[in-house]
Amino acid sequence: MGYLSEQMSTMGEHLNHRLQVENLFEIPVKNPIPSITLDGGGNPENIFFAESTVVSWIVMGVLIVLAIIITSGFRVRGLTKRQIRAEGWHGMFYGMVKNMLGHEAAGYAPYMCTVLYFIGLCNIFGIFGFKPPTKDLNVTAALAIMTIVLTQVATIRAHGVGGWLKVYKNPMNILELFTRPLSLCMRLFGNVLGAFVIMQLIEHIIPVVLPGFVSLYFDIFDGLLQAYVFTFLSSLFISEAVE
Amino acid sequence: MGGLAIGAGMAVMTGFAAGISIGSATGKATEAVARQPEAAGNIRSTLILGSALAEATAIYGFVVALLIIVMLK
Repeated sequence: MGYLSEQMSTMGEHLNHRLQVENLFEIPVKNPIPSITLDGGGNPENIFFAESTVVSWIVMGVLIVLAIIITSGFRVRGLTKRQIRAEGWHGMFYGMVKNMLGHEAAGYAPYMCTVLYFIGLCNIFGIFGFKPPTKDLNVTAALAIMTIVLTQVATIRAHGVGGWLKVYKNPMNILELFTRPLSLCMRLFGNVLGAFVIMQLIEHIIPVVLPGFVSLYFDIFDGLLQAYVFTFLSSLFISEAVE
Repeated sequence: MGGLAIGAGMAVMTGFAAGISIGSATGKATEAVARQPEAAGNIRSTLILGSALAEATAIYGFVVALLIIVMLK
């Protein structure tokens, strides 16, 4: 039991260390723009790049490279096995998102499908030893703000500026303008952070065998489910706005 | 420090209600699928929406607990 109690006593320190969002690198600026340099640490006159930003670049890179590799050499006649498989999988996800949006808002399906892939890959990126970018509140806040801006744009496109203003005759709708992105952002952040904390605790105490099985649930299942829920709720808001 | 721990623990108690509500929703969904298996797809998506909204309360409790520990330390 000596090992366990020793691990328990260092757990708080380890967790604290892992929970911080580190600044990976910074670009020195001679005449800084004040709005960019709000973040602390180091020379406050520099532009900082947080770890979550860099990891989300990696996620984007992986998605782009995968898209280019998989879709190269697609043709209409003489299908390869790879093309059939890729089209089947993508067709499944795309059809799912389209169903959520309904036929009136189907034009937003490509964006929502991209968000689904991005969040899904972000959430399961913890498996590869990275900290998942969605563990950072700033990333999920950006995604939630994009959703709510898209909702407003969809309302304007469907009903015109007059129709958009008419929506806010009901004060509940003004309230929803703030509560919706807040709940979207907090739900994703809280779920991913919770799963991350539990995985760190388990990995710290029992580093063999067990984390492999537990990460099946916490990293893969929960991560993909949260990506689905985020896309589902965003689609719901958009299809509601278009109606 | 002790008071902070108690406060954080109480914030996480939101999980209690979330557990009950998700369990109840899933039970009702199971009954609905048993009664009308052809509507399973619609029931599933409604269930996931409801569960996500119910689960959010537990997550808020967790986030508040974390903020108590990290911010007030």
